[in-house]
Amino acid sequence: MNFELSEEQQLIQDSVARFVQENYGLEARVELAAKEPGFSTTHWQTMAELGWLALPFAEADGGFGGNQIDVMVIMEQFGKGLVLEPYLASIVMGGGALKRGAATALKEEILAGVIDGSYQLTLAYAEPQSRFDLHDVTTTARADGDSFVINGAKSMVLNASTASHIVVSARTGGGQVDESGISLFLLNADTDGLTREDFPTVDGLRASELAFKDVRIGADRLIGEVGKGYEILNATANDAILALAAEAVGAMEVLYKDTVAYTQEREQFGHPLSDFQVLQHRMVDMFMEYEQCKSMLYRATMEAAAGDPETAQRTIHALKHIVGKYGIFIGENAVQLHGGMGMTEELRVGHYFKRMLVIDSQFGNADYHLQKFAA
Amino acid sequence: MDIKLSRQDQDFRQDVRQFFADNAYRAGEDYAEWRLEWFKKAAEKGGWDVPKWSPEFGGPGWTPTQHYIWEQETARATLPWDMPFGVGMVAPIIMAYGNKAQQERFLPDIRARRVNWCQGYSEPGAGSDLASLKTRAELSADGSHYVVNGTKIWTTAAHIADWIFCLTRTDDSGKKQEGITFLLFPMKQDGIEVKPIITLGGAHSVNTVYLTDVKVPVENRIGEQGKGWTYAKGLLQHERTGLAGLSRSLVALEGLRDNARRVPRGNSTLMDDPAFRAKTAELEIDLMAAEYTELRSLATAAAGAAPGPESSILKLKGTEIQQRIQKLTVEAGGIYSAAWGPKSVGNSFAKGGMAGYLASRAYTIYGGASEVQRDVVAKNVLGIKRSSR
Repeated sequence: MNFELSEEQQLIQDSVARFVQENYGLEARVELAAKEPGFSTTHWQTMAELGWLALPFAEADGGFGGNQIDVMVIMEQFGKGLVLEPYLASIVMGGGALKRGAATALKEEILAGVIDGSYQLTLAYAEPQSRFDLHDVTTTARADGDSFVINGAKSMVLNASTASHIVVSARTGGGQVDESGISLFLLNADTDGLTREDFPTVDGLRASELAFKDVRIGADRLIGEVGKGYEILNATANDAILALAAEAVGAMEVLYKDTVAYTQEREQFGHPLSDFQVLQHRMVDMFMEYEQCKSMLYRATMEAAAGDPETAQRTIHALKHIVGKYGIFIGENAVQLHGGMGMTEELRVGHYFKRMLVIDSQFGNADYHLQKFAA
Repeated sequence: MDIKLSRQDQDFRQDVRQFFADNAYRAGEDYAEWRLEWFKKAAEKGGWDVPKWSPEFGGPGWTPTQHYIWEQETARATLPWDMPFGVGMVAPIIMAYGNKAQQERFLPDIRARRVNWCQGYSEPGAGSDLASLKTRAELSADGSHYVVNGTKIWTTAAHIADWIFCLTRTDDSGKKQEGITFLLFPMKQDGIEVKPIITLGGAHSVNTVYLTDVKVPVENRIGEQGKGWTYAKGLLQHERTGLAGLSRSLVALEGLRDNARRVPRGNSTLMDDPAFRAKTAELEIDLMAAEYTELRSLATAAAGAAPGPESSILKLKGTEIQQRIQKLTVEAGGIYSAAWGPKSVGNSFAKGGMAGYLASRAYTIYGGASEVQRDVVAKNVLGIKRSSR
């Protein structure tokens, strides 16, 4: 057992940390989030040039052959600045589904563009009725000659407004909540019959509701086998949970450290707030839960990278549970200890707190994963 | 001990319901006109427009049970919008500590809702430790007016208020609680600049107020110079039970359950999820107990006794319950709770739920942060003396 980063990982960590420090001050982030497309295309290009977009793809696919640990290193640093570029949507989610399931020809056609940043992917998996269940799918894909016809709706699709391609889960067989009978397709974003409603999310990111009306797509756009998409979807969701948890751990660090710093500066009753024992203990609790989340992140990520899906699955449920629960705990208390200032958009803590709330709502909240873990 | 409502109390409840039904807002009506008319009609009922005012100033002189019934019924009815700063906050101070001329000058407009007020208490350096405030009020050489300079912060509705009641420092030579003076002055005048503060839910309700050489005639001072702290503390006692909002929480909890019944979960709904159900049940149990804590507190007050120890926990419990309901609403929103922007996405309550939750984080900060409230309970109720922090 070894918790040390490799030399390459250390270099990437330093370089991402520098990028975040130089580009993701609060003001810069707020400005980027406020205008279209909701992130910086220049930063996105920089990330491609530095090889970050290539990291988790196999060398045969033009990538660097990295794993979940490498993605964790990047995402944790991203979390410290709440980076807006669609790394999660394009590389971890859309790219994750493609690298796992797509035939060689499709990978050859798409992944080079994903890696150089000219293509942008996302994954449309949730539906209005599905809540957190990946296998609750009512969108249908009907086979018709050598193509499929898709009808239905997808919800809360991350960064869909800028995506060039969208990975969609649709039912080719089975009942509404069956794990079998789900198929994955790679759609061009400008396909006829696909309409979008775009909106911001409370954390300053972008999402869309998608509607599919007789969207025709060639069978060569199928990712994995017909009716066997769930396994790919679930494995990709697990990677997304690991990435989100890493981002959350980075953000938690900012939340508790900003709080410790603020309470030492702010004076009331003739003392710095940090003199009050009740606040000291609260900050110690915030720190403890941050460390616990970090430990669980390491545990789940290392298990996933070691390739034992069953053990990793249980730990990933545990991870998403505590990251949701304690992320919000740390966020709420960061705001509370900042007092009125914590309630404003002028300080970082409010923004990081909102990101914690959104992270809890993605890929299953704390309650959902507790139930999965206990089952 | 008897849990039954008396015949008179039951009649009163009926009377209140009838009044709300008869005077409900009807679609198409001019809202502003309806609002003023509503308060006029409530006044004609014998002080229903100012339930907490004493009969001496036109209040209804209700029993605690009647207040409780009123709170329960108002939580369900749609009342015209009303801010607490006039009727609920500055009026009781003017009644208790103002002179006759001030009472005649200010109370009628407050009661008729013709004038909007805001509260100038907190400052950038004086939050939980309010008594350390620094906004200076200097008496002119001829003794005719004060000149006020300083900054107030978190001032709710300062951008729409006509008047402000303001704590100012006239003396910093002694204890910080001494030398504070309570002044009233109009908001729309030279030397007052109001700057909005946007809070986490994206709303503009609080402001920073910059005061530069604002002239305030001495006749606008409440009570004596340097005694403002005593007056402000009197007000805090007055508003003690109002902040718990228990009846509203009960209605909000019902709303949450209704919403959860409309959230699909597989082939059933979120209300069929045992974990979610248990959380709403836990909230209901806490509310049931808190309701009776409030009733016990009201009964003690009615008997003319000093507030019992139970009253001290109402703000703490009440605000924490409100926050838990808001948090559960966000959970009920599921994947859609993240959606923001002008339109609601997925389900109708998710966006409002998130905005409400974010706003609710302030409940344990304003009006005395919960940590400070607990300090006060420890000291005043439990009698704990502390030698160090």
